[in-house]
Amino acid sequence: MTAVRRSSVSPLQLAVLASTALILLPLGYVTALALSADSTVWHRLWTTRVPELLLNTVSLAGAVALLALVLGVSTAWMVTRFEFPGRRLWEVALVLPLAMPTYVLAYVYNYLLGYGGPVEHLWQMVTGPQSRILSPQSFWGVTIVMTLDTFPFVYLLTRSALLSFNVSFEEVARTCGASQLRTMLHVTLPLLRPSIVAGVALVVLYVVSDFGAVSLLRYQTLTYAVFQQMTGRSDNQAASILSILLVVLALLFLLTERWFRRRSRFYQTTGRYRAPQRIQCEWWHATALTACLATVTGLAFGIPAYLLMMWSLSSEAQAMLDARFFGFIWNSALLSSLAAAAAVLVGLPLAYLASRKPTWLNLGCLQAAYAGYVLPGPVAALAVLVLFLNVMPFLYGTVIVLIVAYVLHFLPVGLQSLEPSIQQITPNLEEVARTLGFGVRETWRRVTLPLIRNGVIVAWVLIFLQTMKELPATLLLRPVGFDTLAIRVWLEASEEYYQLAAPSALLIVLVGLPALALLLSRDWRAA
Amino acid sequence: MSRWPRQCSRTIGVPVRLDFAGLVAACLLAVLWLPIPPNVSAADKLIVYSGRSERLIKPVLDAFTAKTGIQVDLLSSGTTELVNRLKAEGGRSPADVFISNDAGSLEMARTAGLLRPLSMPEVEQAIPPQFRAADNSWIGLSGRFWIIVCNTTMVTPDQITSLLDLADPRWKDKIAIPNAGSEYLQAGVSVIRASLGDDQTKKFLEGLRNNAGTHVYQKSSQIVEAVAKGQVSVGVVNHYYVYRHLAVQPTAPLGVMMPDQQAGGMGAIMNVAGIGILKHTSRFDTAKLLVEFLVAEVGQKMFADLDKEYPLHPEVKADSSLVERKSFRTASVPLTKLAELREPTLLLIEQVGMR
Repeated sequence: MTAVRRSSVSPLQLAVLASTALILLPLGYVTALALSADSTVWHRLWTTRVPELLLNTVSLAGAVALLALVLGVSTAWMVTRFEFPGRRLWEVALVLPLAMPTYVLAYVYNYLLGYGGPVEHLWQMVTGPQSRILSPQSFWGVTIVMTLDTFPFVYLLTRSALLSFNVSFEEVARTCGASQLRTMLHVTLPLLRPSIVAGVALVVLYVVSDFGAVSLLRYQTLTYAVFQQMTGRSDNQAASILSILLVVLALLFLLTERWFRRRSRFYQTTGRYRAPQRIQCEWWHATALTACLATVTGLAFGIPAYLLMMWSLSSEAQAMLDARFFGFIWNSALLSSLAAAAAVLVGLPLAYLASRKPTWLNLGCLQAAYAGYVLPGPVAALAVLVLFLNVMPFLYGTVIVLIVAYVLHFLPVGLQSLEPSIQQITPNLEEVARTLGFGVRETWRRVTLPLIRNGVIVAWVLIFLQTMKELPATLLLRPVGFDTLAIRVWLEASEEYYQLAAPSALLIVLVGLPALALLLSRDWRAA
Repeated sequence: MSRWPRQCSRTIGVPVRLDFAGLVAACLLAVLWLPIPPNVSAADKLIVYSGRSERLIKPVLDAFTAKTGIQVDLLSSGTTELVNRLKAEGGRSPADVFISNDAGSLEMARTAGLLRPLSMPEVEQAIPPQFRAADNSWIGLSGRFWIIVCNTTMVTPDQITSLLDLADPRWKDKIAIPNAGSEYLQAGVSVIRASLGDDQTKKFLEGLRNNAGTHVYQKSSQIVEAVAKGQVSVGVVNHYYVYRHLAVQPTAPLGVMMPDQQAGGMGAIMNVAGIGILKHTSRFDTAKLLVEFLVAEVGQKMFADLDKEYPLHPEVKADSSLVERKSFRTASVPLTKLAELREPTLLLIEQVGMR
């Protein structure tokens, strides 16, 4: 009996509770701020802005999620199930958009598709001087830009699931006489569902919390409105009210997602898989696939990267490449790797306990961890700032404050890939190891960790990349004189010196590439 | 999950925690390597928070460093963001000096008790009193005007004489305006309210909102760009955005109209960029040197010319490409009133439903 009672307060449990408390503090601060607001502030917001903002936010998230789902799953399917020349290349290229900040993509498309831009010129040469093309500063414009930037989340998780997928399930279905389509619909897709849903969830959370792209494309969402309230007013109450709405919206979504995922839980029964047999393609088939993939990667990465490169080669841009600039690169890389490592460390116990001991407490802690992602960057940063000043003032003005803010903000990104990877290992494996005489530590090192290594690496890289691009929290919390590449892009781009912003933007992409390579390197797959 | 033996879950925490403890320690060590900016107060150093963009302030600060040997650490960000940050930091702020593009924000920092009054003969000689706080806790450095920019191929100068003309339905879908969060818009509307009263201002804003439609921009430079391309015919911006655009593209069909100069008109709306020394600084004397540098003729010329603004020092000439300062008059609302006008102005802007 005593053993049972003690098990509920294991050190791991304590660590989880402590990190949850830390995560919830800023949310509590923002809630308190919102609740302390006068009812007239609530009324004013509710009658003037809220309906439009809610509608805009929800419809944008919905449209992007749907498009990213289609794009992500179909491209993952193409590169894992077919064999054709150049497949390896596309497999890598499809992840590249993750290194491209959304605000950069938004700017590039604003330039390309905007009024009087090059694409419109071409179009008018064909169809006459009065015709107009789809404006990037519209619902569909924003939707397309966001989709192009976020579909790799779905692609990556789906691909990783398809690769570590045990084909024997499919073979059994085929042996039993199911058609190929039927096998796909009734066996493969349901087994992939946890990964796909996790990917889509990342997309939705990303879209509702994005500030850079919507502000450049002038599309009003809740996050954008929060930013406007915070930068246009000296009191932060209205901003915190809108933030709370955003948090509620996101939690509703996350609960729905969790419900979806709880209905489907599958265990991998062995640590070994056979790679699925790829279908050899005829030449016309290969051409069609290549055209498809080239269009997607070209739009999401190739064209923007080319433009950034051209702008970086301009003489104005060249003039600013000095020793200071290398400092920015170093700052960015260091901050991002530290934040990613810290977030994985905080995330692992959370995900582990929620999977192995899904009590209300543990699930609640996990759910709470998602709050930081939807708390809009500037508001979360303000909360972190106030907390540090009041609780640990000696740390204020150091990068530790920034790292805490990043962990708070990006932990869910890590959890989304840590969780499924832990869920895929059946507890039996660990139990067997224990029965065979392994110590707990040995079990963890030799059984659990190798099996979730994929998930850990994916989590680390995703957080690294996101931190690299993060803007509002860095703006608000960076120590004096400590600029990152993202800050440089913002400082130049917000004054419309886009050629000057280009080298920093290009470097964000370049520094992100090794991380992506790690994500795709072959040796971590065969655990 | 229910099959998971309980004694296992009890013990599994221990080694995990040990592994994590090691990693956490390694992480913390790595953090300590980072170049944590020294907080020691050296007399030959200043920390400046600037709402003016880095490009437009750094060369002046570099010139100051070259002249005095005083190192300047610069933090550039949005003006209101910085006021919020300074408020939150309070007495723990590392900042010594605050530079802002908006007199309203400076006055707000003053009323929040963040700034220290200043008594310096250099300031009083160089900057006329209407451009400073009464107790000199902030000092204006350069002047900026809210003007109408037009595409010269689409509009002739006689079509508009006043900002209020822009509410006329004939400008439907032909105007670009800044969004409701813009400090320039807030200051401009505050001046109009003070000059004409709330009712007339409200009618004006409703007209402006209808005419602008979706042409509401975060950045004034985007407005100038839209006018230059002919996407809209006119826009409302601070004057230097036009000259900045022309400096890069001299052939752009852009014209500047100084509004409300007609007899009995309210005059052009002016705002200033300025500087204040923070109350809690331990480097007050060093900060005074920076103020002294910026109000002197050389500093004034440099500070204003970098952004094509008007120097406030009466002896310093503005950039020759600008409209001659003596050729137009300014609205009579004092700058120190901008802060107190701001809150009701924001309410009015939101009532009208501007974005």
